[in-house]
Amino acid sequence: MGEAGTADTFKANAKAALADRVLKVAIDRTTGTAETKRAAAVADFAEFDGARERSRRLKDHVIANLEHYLLQFESNARANGARVHWASTAEQACEIVVGICRDARARSVTRSKSMLGEEIGLPHALAEAGIERVETDLAEHIIQLAGERPSHIIWPAMHRTREQIAALFKAKHREPPRNDDPGAMVESARRELRDKFLGADVGIAGANFLVADTGATCTVTNEGNAELTATPPRVFIVTAGIEKLVPSTAHAMELLRVLVRSATGGELTQYTTFHCGPKRPGDADGPDEMHIVLVDNGRTRMLTNGLREMLRCIRCGACMNHCVVYRQIGGHAYGSVYPGPMGAVLTPVFEGLDKSRDLVHACTMNGRCAEVCPVMIPLPTLLRGWRDRSWREGLEPASVRSGIGVWRFLATRPRLYRLATRFGLPAMRLFSRRGWIRSMPLAGGWTEYRDMPAPPARSFMDQYRARRPNA
Amino acid sequence: MAEQQATRPAVGLFVTCLVDAIRPEIGFAALQLLEEAGCRVSVPERQTCCGQPGYNSGATDAATALARQFVDAFEPFEHVVVPSGSCAGMIRHHYPEMLAAEPAYAERARTVAGRTHEITDYLHTVRGFRPSGRTLKASATYHDSCAGLRELGIHAQPRAMLGALDGLELRKLDGDNVCCGFGGTFCVKYPAISNVIVDEKAAAIERTGADLLLAGDLGCLMNMAGKLHRRGARTRCFHTVEALAGMASGPAIGEAR
Amino acid sequence: MSDARAQILGAVRTALGPPREAAAIAAEAAALLETPELIRPRLPNRSLTDVFAERISAPKIGATVERVPRLADFPRAVDRYLRENGLPQAAALQPAPELLELDWAGIELHKGMAADQAAGIGIARWGVAETGSLVFHSGPDTPVLFNFLPLHSVIAIDVRQIVAHLEDYAAAAAGPPPRNANIITGASGTTDIEGSYVRGAHGPGFLHVVIIGDTPI
Repeated sequence: MGEAGTADTFKANAKAALADRVLKVAIDRTTGTAETKRAAAVADFAEFDGARERSRRLKDHVIANLEHYLLQFESNARANGARVHWASTAEQACEIVVGICRDARARSVTRSKSMLGEEIGLPHALAEAGIERVETDLAEHIIQLAGERPSHIIWPAMHRTREQIAALFKAKHREPPRNDDPGAMVESARRELRDKFLGADVGIAGANFLVADTGATCTVTNEGNAELTATPPRVFIVTAGIEKLVPSTAHAMELLRVLVRSATGGELTQYTTFHCGPKRPGDADGPDEMHIVLVDNGRTRMLTNGLREMLRCIRCGACMNHCVVYRQIGGHAYGSVYPGPMGAVLTPVFEGLDKSRDLVHACTMNGRCAEVCPVMIPLPTLLRGWRDRSWREGLEPASVRSGIGVWRFLATRPRLYRLATRFGLPAMRLFSRRGWIRSMPLAGGWTEYRDMPAPPARSFMDQYRARRPNA
Repeated sequence: MAEQQATRPAVGLFVTCLVDAIRPEIGFAALQLLEEAGCRVSVPERQTCCGQPGYNSGATDAATALARQFVDAFEPFEHVVVPSGSCAGMIRHHYPEMLAAEPAYAERARTVAGRTHEITDYLHTVRGFRPSGRTLKASATYHDSCAGLRELGIHAQPRAMLGALDGLELRKLDGDNVCCGFGGTFCVKYPAISNVIVDEKAAAIERTGADLLLAGDLGCLMNMAGKLHRRGARTRCFHTVEALAGMASGPAIGEAR
Repeated sequence: MSDARAQILGAVRTALGPPREAAAIAAEAAALLETPELIRPRLPNRSLTDVFAERISAPKIGATVERVPRLADFPRAVDRYLRENGLPQAAALQPAPELLELDWAGIELHKGMAADQAAGIGIARWGVAETGSLVFHSGPDTPVLFNFLPLHSVIAIDVRQIVAHLEDYAAAAAGPPPRNANIITGASGTTDIEGSYVRGAHGPGFLHVVIIGDTPI
């Protein structure tokens, strides 16, 4: 599997991924199942299109009234006894979290999977601060043992086959699984993590929704690990992007219907939990402190730079499950926290377009991601927006610029264009044999992998004029 | 319908740059079908390319220059018909946005966009055309090209018309709504990724055991035909309109003419 | 970090302008909840209890379900469940008054919940027919961990507390929110290994629901 590359080494990462046959098996198993289950869930839900449209409007409403909802949420969360922190950048967010851990004299923290935590680099920040981090989501546990990054936002360990995971657990678990049956492996992880859950000083989770009118954070999991992260430790921290707001619990329910179906094909996650502050007098259990860290990290910039629709994203992962590119190269090749179509739109926000130029181009613009998106984000349009910017900022390589330049020069001059085809087509035919071109200068990108049908001696326009001189 | 037939609408045929250079047969098939459907067809001399190579590369200026040229060339016609879902989608959906801020073009671009149709949609939906009395004794599988499918809703139209061909057996292609990996400039910018995508597509096509592969976009067809040929498959590839026009007995894409 | 707060709110203000009147925003938000029948699954034309019971025992959720007439019958249902599953006649009991006053003869009750507890007994505040979910609100008599630690979770739910849709729960629970509201839909599960579904990831591997009472409201 090797070291993961970064976004600016995309082509090399992709090449390595394509050479990894086992990776392809793993990708096919998970995304194939995800696609089938989503399709069944959508087929079972006649109102899905209505729900999608409503979800889109709901997210747009929240984003358009962001200040109102942020302030309402802050005030209600404080009234619940939670402490609300604000972070403009990833670094600030990590400083706040590490600071809370230090104040709590934490030696170990449990974490429930949160893509925002990955986005801000929290695992690294905790390690630097010398705080033991226990990942509790099964997939995050797997990649923590393997020293890897997530390759999918819903199934972070989807790049590993069951056989590989079994080998990893055998090497690292105190009481390893007997075989590579997923059931045995899940049991092994349960044994391994149980006492760590109960012994942690601090628990850290993300949020799927921030409910403005109650001040609650809402987290959904299938394993129940978010609750085991929130309740036993003395201190519970939630990190969340500022776009996660919803007006009320009922609004969260609307989004949950499309989120879960799009992500796993379920109707609702096994555990959907709303957290409102720390333990109250008389409560049987719960943390002494609850902290909420509201993170910007580029989101307010997305309000003005043509990416506002991306703030609708509810992180379901359907776009990557249905992406032909993702399904060949997997998540690590993107070299970014968020892979696939949504990641290709977001990564330039975090890392800069110059470092992630390949991500916005490595898409066939087939539109299937937008078709399955539960909040109707026009992902191809947003990617094209980045391409437009890359062109205007001069980030495109000289070969592309000159190629497009020649094409433009000819295509905007129809007579010259005819002349060019009149010479070009016979020239191309010189490379053909029995109707096919197997290789040709300047066409290596094509002919390395497939044959090219030979052109006719004369173009349609020339043949047409010859047949109908007066048309 | 009857009224339109009586008046024989003036149709501007945009053959697309790929058809012009690689597969004129598609242009002639389109011409024949449109005339059979009662249209007066013109092929404006000032056509080249719809601008997608520039548009999808981010070279919006270059694409916009082509959009203006296209509007100038095609605005005299009642209808503009294109044998490509991807180029028709470009004109219908993106020209109006690209030219929205240009007073000299905004309104005209909207008008031309509204009059532009992908050919199977035009024949089937607008003209109510059926290829009657035409025979094609073969089995075929059909791939839905992405832009036509998702930008224009091209799905039932080609199937309905192909279903009217005598003797043609249509076989469902596994993943017929999944991209073939062409993606315009994508296939040459990221050839290795494009290759594995089209390889899976070709395998699925071969599994149908069909004699023919049909689709509505030459870009996708060249990609799939080229891969099938490299794999040594015998599947013969045609554009939908070639099959509808009775031209599938002639040389397929890549067969010596 | 108040700098960051001012920075973020300032950037939002610059991008979007000053907020509109709260009433206008609230009206728009309320409109987003209208015509719920267009955006949620239509329930089969049967009693809510039947729909709830079907959902909860459907393969997707995979819990087991039984019905008894009265809450007083719950201990016997638990007893049966423990026997049928070859479990020791012992369980941790949620300290809810209505459960504490039942006759638990024959079952050894634990007040606390051990980390490796085999069985836990509890009572849900609401059931949601649409999703086959159970809802718990934390409090002195409802420890959160009771629903997460045992391998077998046996839960009572009163038929009168079964609502049709998720929004109906939200409406029923209106008012000051609990510290922790848990909507639980089946046993703990994971699809993290190749997408295949395995139960008992961290929380219970088995959920048994005992519906109390025959007549829905």
